[in-house]
Amino acid sequence: MPIEVINLSHSYKEGTPFEKQVLFDINLSIGAGEFVGIIGPTRSGKTTLAQHLNALHIPRQGKVLIDGLDTKDKQADLVSIRHRVGYVFQNPDYQLFAPTVGEDIAFGPFNMKLPREEIEDRVRKAMAQVGLDYKTLYNRDIFALSGGQKRRAAIAGVLACKPQVLVLDDVTAGLDPRGREEILTLIRELHRRQNITIIFISNSMDEVASMAERIIVINEGRVIMDDATREVFARIEELRSIGLQLPEVTVLIDKLRSAGFNLPAGALNVNEAIRVITAALREMEARK
Amino acid sequence: MEKLIETTNLTYFYRSGTKDQVKALYNVNMNVFQGEILAITGQNGSGKSTLARHFNALLTPGQGEVFVKGLSTVSKENIPEIRKIIGMVFQNPDNQLVSSIVEEDIAFGPENLGLPQPEIIERVNWALHTLGLEELRNEPPHNLSEGQKQQVAIAGVLAMKPECIVLDEPTAHLDPRGRRELLESAIHLNREEGITIVLLTHFMNEVIHCDRMIVMENGSVKMEGPPGSIFCRSKEVKKTGLDFPIAAQIGDGLRREGFDIKPGIIHTEDLIASLCQLKS
Amino acid sequence: MELTKNITLGVYLPGRSFIHNLDPRTKILAAAGIIVLLLFTRSYSAFALSAIFIGALVSLSGIPTGYALRGLKPMLPVLAIMWVFQLFLFKTPDATVYFHWWIFEATDAGLHMGNLIILRVLFLFTVTTFLTLTTSVVSLTDGLESLLKPLRMIGLPSQELVMTLVIALRFVLILAEELEKIIKAQMARGVAFDRGNFIQKTRKIFPVFLPLFIGAFKRAEELIVAMDARSYTGGKGRTKMKTLHMGRADFMAALILLAYGGLLIFIIISTKPMI
Repeated sequence: MPIEVINLSHSYKEGTPFEKQVLFDINLSIGAGEFVGIIGPTRSGKTTLAQHLNALHIPRQGKVLIDGLDTKDKQADLVSIRHRVGYVFQNPDYQLFAPTVGEDIAFGPFNMKLPREEIEDRVRKAMAQVGLDYKTLYNRDIFALSGGQKRRAAIAGVLACKPQVLVLDDVTAGLDPRGREEILTLIRELHRRQNITIIFISNSMDEVASMAERIIVINEGRVIMDDATREVFARIEELRSIGLQLPEVTVLIDKLRSAGFNLPAGALNVNEAIRVITAALREMEARK
Repeated sequence: MEKLIETTNLTYFYRSGTKDQVKALYNVNMNVFQGEILAITGQNGSGKSTLARHFNALLTPGQGEVFVKGLSTVSKENIPEIRKIIGMVFQNPDNQLVSSIVEEDIAFGPENLGLPQPEIIERVNWALHTLGLEELRNEPPHNLSEGQKQQVAIAGVLAMKPECIVLDEPTAHLDPRGRRELLESAIHLNREEGITIVLLTHFMNEVIHCDRMIVMENGSVKMEGPPGSIFCRSKEVKKTGLDFPIAAQIGDGLRREGFDIKPGIIHTEDLIASLCQLKS
Repeated sequence: MELTKNITLGVYLPGRSFIHNLDPRTKILAAAGIIVLLLFTRSYSAFALSAIFIGALVSLSGIPTGYALRGLKPMLPVLAIMWVFQLFLFKTPDATVYFHWWIFEATDAGLHMGNLIILRVLFLFTVTTFLTLTTSVVSLTDGLESLLKPLRMIGLPSQELVMTLVIALRFVLILAEELEKIIKAQMARGVAFDRGNFIQKTRKIFPVFLPLFIGAFKRAEELIVAMDARSYTGGKGRTKMKTLHMGRADFMAALILLAYGGLLIFIIISTKPMI
């Protein structure tokens, strides 16, 4: 399901003394099955852009086409668009509101007015997908869940609507390393096994570097880079100049290069770094 | 080194005495030394936050004792003095700022101490200056980034002139830049103002800048020592589910490939230095 | 979906006008005085004078008139319902009946009563909004604290009350933003808040409050701990960083207000009330 953004601009608090334009003439398109990372400094407009992609924001200027449907079109079925483009919020506490896990996950399908058996079936499948045990957790109080479980319940609630696109807005914030790794693995699997398009917004460059195939960099409401992950992280100075923190591995490789090591730029994860450093050291040994 | 905080056989239960009581801390014996930066790390639910709340008597021990400069937190009359010695900054900056103007919020603590007006003004100015927040003086917290809000929260505690600041996962909600700036502030307060820092965190790139670290698991202290030596014990660390610093991960990988890199390297600078040695 | 856009009560719009620079105590007392006078205002000409006076104040403050009135927008449906109620339900024995339908009768007394109530609410709202638009929350509470100080002697915990207000005001915007996020999260899962009629929309809003309240309680709990950690033990023994001073401008403002008050009372007495 392709998404197309054409000349999109957006202002908050339009018509008040606090009016502020946050998006400027954005153009981009995301194809079916892609894994796209969106990065940018705090308040660069990432979230506002992302919320246009499932019609949570309706454009005033420019347009957003989701599977060819214009979200601005008065006749467009926004509810069905929102089911097809799922959105997982940064803080699961905003998203979870039913008393029990099962009821919360059923909320989306229930709004779709599906038959009861179908709803049950979807809840069971969604819980299995995210690794929440149906038997023990179906009736569990939402507030008795751990941080990581809450995130997974929130993702399950969105998956139960069977989305073709999943927008994930900084979903690992505040988790401990184990919880973070579990969520990232889950997202990778959703993409690989079910071919769900992933739009992954994150503040952690290390995460984005190791997850996304393509990266869109937003700064002050404008798209300033849109390229393959490796290409984006090779532009170290530009990223630095807009105040982004680079992946630690990228920084290390960069420093080694300036210390005279013969290494390719833009290693994205630890294993890659070990591989290229090993190769460089071996080559030097051979020369000696 | 002098002990600033000492816990002896500290045990604590949530919902103590009821059927569903939960063990949060069990037999914890640890110290915070004057002038150090101590990291406390461990998975969520490992008890680190519960432990930290004992340091300034927000919680009092179920069994055992906590001493702050020799003052036991159990006796109520010590509490005002203890809270003057130990300042505390929490995870969510929005839930700890009281006033709608930065400088007024920083004045909140000194006002509570009943200080004379000129001294409050002087302390607020000093705290703003020390953390480089002068320009934000009259802003509402609402207009600040999460990182700036957290810096304001630290300034509010700093204005009470504590000997020690406990930071309870202050970076959990911040972006990487806010995180780096917060760490820099903490180090600055330690090195320039001599304030003891206790930092609770999940991020290993913060832990490696601390003098000492404690790893908590299931309410007990699992490991304790300088970060360099802790990360040498890689099997134990792995079991607790912690990350490794990037330099340690790459160093380990290269060692497995047969290169001569010493274990216990946690800073990228040190890794680069030893790689340069290999090269020459 | 932007909820905070239409909230003007409690919003402060910084500025350097004569009104912005007044001592908060002057402004609070003035607002209180104007509101008390409003309760006695019962004639169209008196309302007209109030409208002119308040309009002049707004333009003097440099606040865009449209923005000052924006906060009324979400209240309009409620006001309309109130007006209709008065129109049909309020009666006097000698009232002229305009028309009647089944058991309902619309009378001229009802019309005037409806108008009176709507006008009062409108003015009340505009005056308080205007006060908060030109006075920062902090100076507002400083003013209140200073004004309420004498009441400590009769045992009123004025400092604690004001502290509660300070915190409540700080959290209004946070909670409004939170509400917006919760609504969006539910929209994302198929609730169409932006579709349907008034009643349908109202029914959909209820599930939103559970996470909002739980969030608010959690915040409150954390805030209490944080205040505790910063040695807050209530108003006793507290000192203040800032003290307030009244100046010439405040004296002038008082004179202007007295003149307005005198004129208004004269009009109230000498003109025929609406009902």
